[in-house]
Amino acid sequence: MSAVLRRVGRSLPGRTLQAWLDGWVARRGPTRPPLTLKYRQIFILPTRFGWLLGLLMFAMLMGSLNFNNNLGLLTTFIVAGLGSNSMLLAYRNLEGLRILKTGASPVFAGQPIQFLITIASDAGRERPGLELRHGSTAQVFSLPARAITEIALPVPTRHRGWLTLDRLALQTGHPIGLFEAWSWFWPERAILVWPRPAERPPPLPEGDADREGSEQRRNPDGDEFYSLRAWREGDPLHRVAWKASQRHNTLLARDLRQPRSRDLVLDLARAPGRDLEERIRVLTAWLLQARRQDRSWTLRLGGKAIGPDRTEAHLHACLKALAEQP
Amino acid sequence: MKQLPPFSAVAWTIAAFVISALPHLAAMPPWLAAGILGACAWRLAAARYRWGPPPRLLRIVLTGVALVFVLVAFGGLWGRRTATVLLCVMLGAKMMEMFAVRDLRLVASVSFFLIATQFLFSERLIYLVYLVSGSLVATIALTRIQTVHGGQWTARGGSELPAIRQAAVLLMLAAPVALTLFVLFPRLAQPLWGLPDQVMDGRTGLSEDMSPGSISNLFLDDSPAFRVEFDGPPPPPGERYWRGPVLWNFDGTTWTRPFFGDAPSRQFVAEGPRSLSYQVQLEPHERRWLFVLDYPVRGPDQALITVDHQMLNRHPVTTLTRYDVVSNPDFTDMPELSSGAQAVALRLPEDRNPRTRALAQELRERHPDDRALINAVLGWFREEAFYYTLSAAPLGRHGADEFLFDLRSGYCEYYASAFAILMRAAGIPTRIVTGYQGGFWQAASEYLLVRQSDAHAWTEVWLEGDGWTRVDPTAAVSPARIEQGSRSVIDGPRHLFDLNWVENLRNQYDRIQHLWNRWVLGFDHDRQRSFLRGLGLPDLTTDRIALLMLLVLGLVMAPLSYALLRQPRGRAASEVERAWQLMLRRLKRRGLTRQASETPLEFARRVRNARPQEGERIVELALMYCRIHYGEVQDDARPFIEQARAFRPARA
Repeated sequence: MSAVLRRVGRSLPGRTLQAWLDGWVARRGPTRPPLTLKYRQIFILPTRFGWLLGLLMFAMLMGSLNFNNNLGLLTTFIVAGLGSNSMLLAYRNLEGLRILKTGASPVFAGQPIQFLITIASDAGRERPGLELRHGSTAQVFSLPARAITEIALPVPTRHRGWLTLDRLALQTGHPIGLFEAWSWFWPERAILVWPRPAERPPPLPEGDADREGSEQRRNPDGDEFYSLRAWREGDPLHRVAWKASQRHNTLLARDLRQPRSRDLVLDLARAPGRDLEERIRVLTAWLLQARRQDRSWTLRLGGKAIGPDRTEAHLHACLKALAEQP
Repeated sequence: MKQLPPFSAVAWTIAAFVISALPHLAAMPPWLAAGILGACAWRLAAARYRWGPPPRLLRIVLTGVALVFVLVAFGGLWGRRTATVLLCVMLGAKMMEMFAVRDLRLVASVSFFLIATQFLFSERLIYLVYLVSGSLVATIALTRIQTVHGGQWTARGGSELPAIRQAAVLLMLAAPVALTLFVLFPRLAQPLWGLPDQVMDGRTGLSEDMSPGSISNLFLDDSPAFRVEFDGPPPPPGERYWRGPVLWNFDGTTWTRPFFGDAPSRQFVAEGPRSLSYQVQLEPHERRWLFVLDYPVRGPDQALITVDHQMLNRHPVTTLTRYDVVSNPDFTDMPELSSGAQAVALRLPEDRNPRTRALAQELRERHPDDRALINAVLGWFREEAFYYTLSAAPLGRHGADEFLFDLRSGYCEYYASAFAILMRAAGIPTRIVTGYQGGFWQAASEYLLVRQSDAHAWTEVWLEGDGWTRVDPTAAVSPARIEQGSRSVIDGPRHLFDLNWVENLRNQYDRIQHLWNRWVLGFDHDRQRSFLRGLGLPDLTTDRIALLMLLVLGLVMAPLSYALLRQPRGRAASEVERAWQLMLRRLKRRGLTRQASETPLEFARRVRNARPQEGERIVELALMYCRIHYGEVQDDARPFIEQARAFRPARA
């Protein structure tokens, strides 16, 4: 039935209805995680199969009543009892579920987002046959007693920028699919979609002034001694400065750095491309390339400059700035 | 092509279908049943070996052929049997395309419908087993289908036990609602549409006419015909004549009912000092007769008392029917015989039974008085070598002659027919009454069980001054038949299991069946009213009963919903956890509350700072707790649990 309501949003009057429906749902209680599902957020309607069985039940009832057939009536009423119980059980399967958080790591446009929803159940009973649905994608899962789980829902992306997901539904047809109970909720924040990197970008712009001109082959590990620092888990043994460690009575490791090379300046205005989107894509590819080569870069967007830096955080800041470009 | 459903869901669905269709399959032509079972077997094999559905064209052709077969087999005769057979055949055909959740569910839920339709044919106690097992398997099937729903066809685990348990719990939870509805759902006083006329599957009841030697199989049928509860003591065995069709016409071989058989009685039967009031539960027999003792004073509203004191229901009796009757045995039926009736009651084919006619003439010359003549014939039956036996030879053209002079052995029909022919030939108006005689008195439950084997035929002669008077020639030959019942006259077992203890068991079973009939099957409009009156409620109209039903339903559902929806109390999962929580609660009472942000160790250290005297102990316990939970080597939890429980913080 929620399938019917889901389908409503296609036509224009449907969209109005949809907006009204969403507003109504939102007025009834919290709709963004973290939230606990209570009776105000749980909706329940018969499924198509439920209606079919109802029809069958009606036929059985009329026939048995007419022929004054008590065993037939008993059969009918057993089905009725099954129906009323399965309504309760469907509701119970959702009641008290906690949707703790939603979120996703940013992806490049065109890649599917793995939208993660964290759901917890405090009940001392299993919750079988749950279904998390967004649009036409759905994920079926079961929750054991007192468990937390993370459900990944793939969501396709097309454009860069902030992606606001519409309504998600957590639903169940447990125990025999006569009724569908569902809860609607909205993700608490939008998801960042980075621009899609150009497939064959031109080489990195090495700048006009080739002052240092020394293009050394870069060793990913670096080979130039930079400094000593406290040993951290994961440092390979050959990096440990044994002698220095002995002197300081604590483990020290050598920190190695690449020979410092020239800074790159990546300017949106000077990137090749026919239109803005294409330039942004090229720039994205360059950013990734620079990061791979561990070079320091500055990103210029109109009047704004970010950097220079070479870290992952810098890369993310730059990608975010590009994604948010108007 | 979607993935195929798993074997388990398909197997349960087919099991539900086969169980619910079993009685229907038994009632249809064997080759049709074999076809349906074959389709089920094919589907099972398909699920086992992961075959896909057959081509669409083949499916359509096979379904069409099956439908044609049904039409041929049933000759286009539309009735309940045809409808259910058609339904079974359609479901059998559905097996070929039962590959989606939707189809599986359809078949499983129609199983409930099939179960309900079977009760249109029979509501015997034994079908309770059928109802319960059929519903259970159908529910298991639905549960199993649900667990594989959602595009994920991979069934969880190999064990079927969780699904069976879940379905059983579901059914048990459905019971309170079902019982409430059953008791309180308003019943119809009148049917909404017409009742069909043919439901019995080849079972025989008393037939509409009588030709000696044709229905002896009825005497071997021990199934109950009806049960009677008397308001007072039961009448003595010799008076238990249950009146059925009254036969006037004789064509030489067969006795039939006269054209005026359905005409209502114009004689008023008054109640007398010996009148009896009793309730009859009549098993369906597809005819309109309601069996009564002589002479019915009044019956149920929908019944009619005919001119020869039969009671006729408005519709054929196709379900278990309960009716109240008052009978008065002291009544003179037709003190004056009209000439028309006399002509019918004397008519005999001219060219039959010459020896009997001669005997009648001879008797008439010797005994001018009717009563003396009758006594003479009965005395002749008694003294000559006449035998009562069920293995009698069929009679030919001159049936009465053969019987009276050559065979001299037969059962009630032979005697009644021959006696009636003899009487008519002697000029005494005679008619034959068929029905039942006797019955088994279930002393413990105080009801009279009348079986099909108690079927009987006797005669009524019209005598000046007494009107129609019952004369039972069988009683003259075999008084035991009348006094001790039909079983007493049979020498030797009738079949392999005709043993005494089997007979006792049957009687015991019938007592349960009687209770079942009385409280479950016979729970109709009237009984529902009287049940509610018995509870002290006033006479309720239908809509009031419906209101009451909703009220009680609410009362029943409330605790059920509470039990289902109650969240189990926040009990900590393990004993360790409970001990730890106990310790925290005790500390809290001393004003030391763990913040949500604090780890156990952080909390313990804070406590140590605040209360150094016992802080060390708390830190020690917190460390044990952490080791149990997070330690690489699993510590023994016992010491911690004991120490944590024993821990009592001192008053600050």
